[in-house]
Amino acid sequence: MTVTSPAEVVAARPQPRRGVSFRDAGPPIALVVIVIVFSLLSPQFRTLGNFQNILDAASVLAVVTCGATFVLLMGSIDLSASGVMAASAIAVALLVENNRNGNDLGFLGIVIAIALGAALGCLSGVLLMALKVPSFMVTLGVSAIGLGIAILMFAGVQPNIADAALESWATDRLLGFTYLTWIAAVCVLVGWLIQRYTRLGRYAFAIGGAEEVLALSGVRVAPYKVAVFTLAGAFYGLGAVMVTSQLGAGLVQAGADFTFSSITAAVVGGTLLTGGRGGVLHSTVGVLLIVVLTNGLVQIGVSPYWQGGVQGLIVVVAVAAAALPLRHRNQVVK
Amino acid sequence: MIRTSRPALALIGLSLASIALAGCTEASSADEGTGAATGSCDPADVTLVGQVRNESNPYEASWLDGGDAFAESVGLEQQRLTYDGESTKQQEQIRQVLAGDTDCLVLNVLPNGDADTKPIVEAADTAGAFLVTQWNKPADLSPLDYDTWLSHITYNGVESGKQIGDALAEAIGGEGGIIALQGILDTGAAKDRFAGLEESLAENSGVELLDQQTANFSRQEALAVTETLLTKHGDKVKGIWAANDDMALGALQALEQAGRTDVAVVGIDAVPDALTAIEDGTMTATVSSDGPWQGGIGLAIGYCVATGELAVEDIADDNRAFFAEQFLITDENVAEYLTPKTDPADFECDNVFNRVAGPLS
Repeated sequence: MTVTSPAEVVAARPQPRRGVSFRDAGPPIALVVIVIVFSLLSPQFRTLGNFQNILDAASVLAVVTCGATFVLLMGSIDLSASGVMAASAIAVALLVENNRNGNDLGFLGIVIAIALGAALGCLSGVLLMALKVPSFMVTLGVSAIGLGIAILMFAGVQPNIADAALESWATDRLLGFTYLTWIAAVCVLVGWLIQRYTRLGRYAFAIGGAEEVLALSGVRVAPYKVAVFTLAGAFYGLGAVMVTSQLGAGLVQAGADFTFSSITAAVVGGTLLTGGRGGVLHSTVGVLLIVVLTNGLVQIGVSPYWQGGVQGLIVVVAVAAAALPLRHRNQVVK
Repeated sequence: MIRTSRPALALIGLSLASIALAGCTEASSADEGTGAATGSCDPADVTLVGQVRNESNPYEASWLDGGDAFAESVGLEQQRLTYDGESTKQQEQIRQVLAGDTDCLVLNVLPNGDADTKPIVEAADTAGAFLVTQWNKPADLSPLDYDTWLSHITYNGVESGKQIGDALAEAIGGEGGIIALQGILDTGAAKDRFAGLEESLAENSGVELLDQQTANFSRQEALAVTETLLTKHGDKVKGIWAANDDMALGALQALEQAGRTDVAVVGIDAVPDALTAIEDGTMTATVSSDGPWQGGIGLAIGYCVATGELAVEDIADDNRAFFAEQFLITDENVAEYLTPKTDPADFECDNVFNRVAGPLS
């Protein structure tokens, strides 16, 4: 019993309890450490107002990262966030009350914009399954399609929103937090419930873990993959609506930075690019890590000329620390 | 069988389409030419090309509209090119355009960055196409060393940064703290504009720069950075200096969300939303480089040379690379700028250098 032969090590792999808990604990510990360090260095950082501000700033990234996480869990990658968000952002700005046309669909406009995001996500999934092209190529293409749609609708004049309800998302507060923060919290909760309790969520893990096994055991994988991309698209669409509320205008660049920052956040939080590991909550911790870092570096007064580099360095260190427990698994890095 | 052939079909279809497109551009190269610097083109044979980053940026869209307006005034059409801010895509487009008929080709180009200018200039020079570049150029590269690179137009960022800095100081009564939102730190525009702010700060000793951060010329980043800086400095912030209007608009949004109405905001570029904000009184000032004029003037200079109305050797050295005039817009004169338009008189061959504010230093 005490002597472990290699065969037993392999057999024991499905339930390495300590490894899992250690790996899962890495990013939250890093988050706590960073918060403590910044709080000690800057009195402004530890104010309530600043924590509200941090959650506010994290809200959109949290929603987008929820979507990206499901795709990453399957071991695919989704580079379409910026294009999908562009299309949804312009769509929502043109559908609610705005300065460009007479539309005033209100909530229905928001739903349509999210549906547009879902449709573009669905397109990614269908193309992926039909053409058997790697997901990063397909989604890059769909991103370009989304940008194209956005630019066509944009037509050279920026649509500014005048819809009071949508504007209030970014300005009005409930219990001290903006509606955007609450929306993000609900999204994370819904994302977690989907991941934990629905077949879609469980299969996303299974596809990322061992797609062949799943297929051989008689599961038709394709519909689930399409559904996951559709879900991701819907999250991007909602993210775009939230950005539009924040900026008061529909911007083609609304999602420009989100493709990579969402993937970065997910990976920093412990969702693996290889799929099958991590989840919505992990990714949310990653989002908070990145946003706290951005905020804290400004609060403690790091020169803007240094910030980019410092931030990158901390992210690399955080990912390396989080991935440390994986080293002994002979994981191939590519 | 259907499933396997579909991607193949798509590929074949795409390649056929691209061959057809390439054929179109090749087919138009019929004229013979010498590539001499000063042209003798029939006005109807001139091809006008305007290239900017993207049409989703109101300023750059207005630039292309100005190009269209000029083209229409001489009975031609402008080819509108956009490269999405990707340097490689810009070079590829330039190569494609230059692969066609280049004898009477006029290019008005916004290079993506300083480093992108040299390959564009050399390619155009080799092909004998008339080129005007704007905004970005390495300091050691001069149109004087080339035959068909007619002129480089840019704006004195130090001056505009100082203009809005002074307007901001005036708006807050010469006294109080301001924060600065910088552009992309490694661009000349960001550096010059910030240098202008520093000059203004030196003259307005009551104004204190509380903090400076970069928001990379982005409305969204400016929103987040301003929110953070407002929590950091609170009521001490009386004014926000932004290196472009997009960031100023992001800052305005952050102020609105924080419920602050006592902060003056200034920017540069005169995008439509900023002009509306100035009209509403929520924003204090911006600086206009006059995008439509920029879009027209590059083509006009090229057109005048291509048709022989203007000889390259007659263009004064100081006009081969110059700072163009720019205009401070406040609530006093905003009405004149709300509807961007071009004045055809600006594009007459005798007037194309009327807005030279000084040689490039």
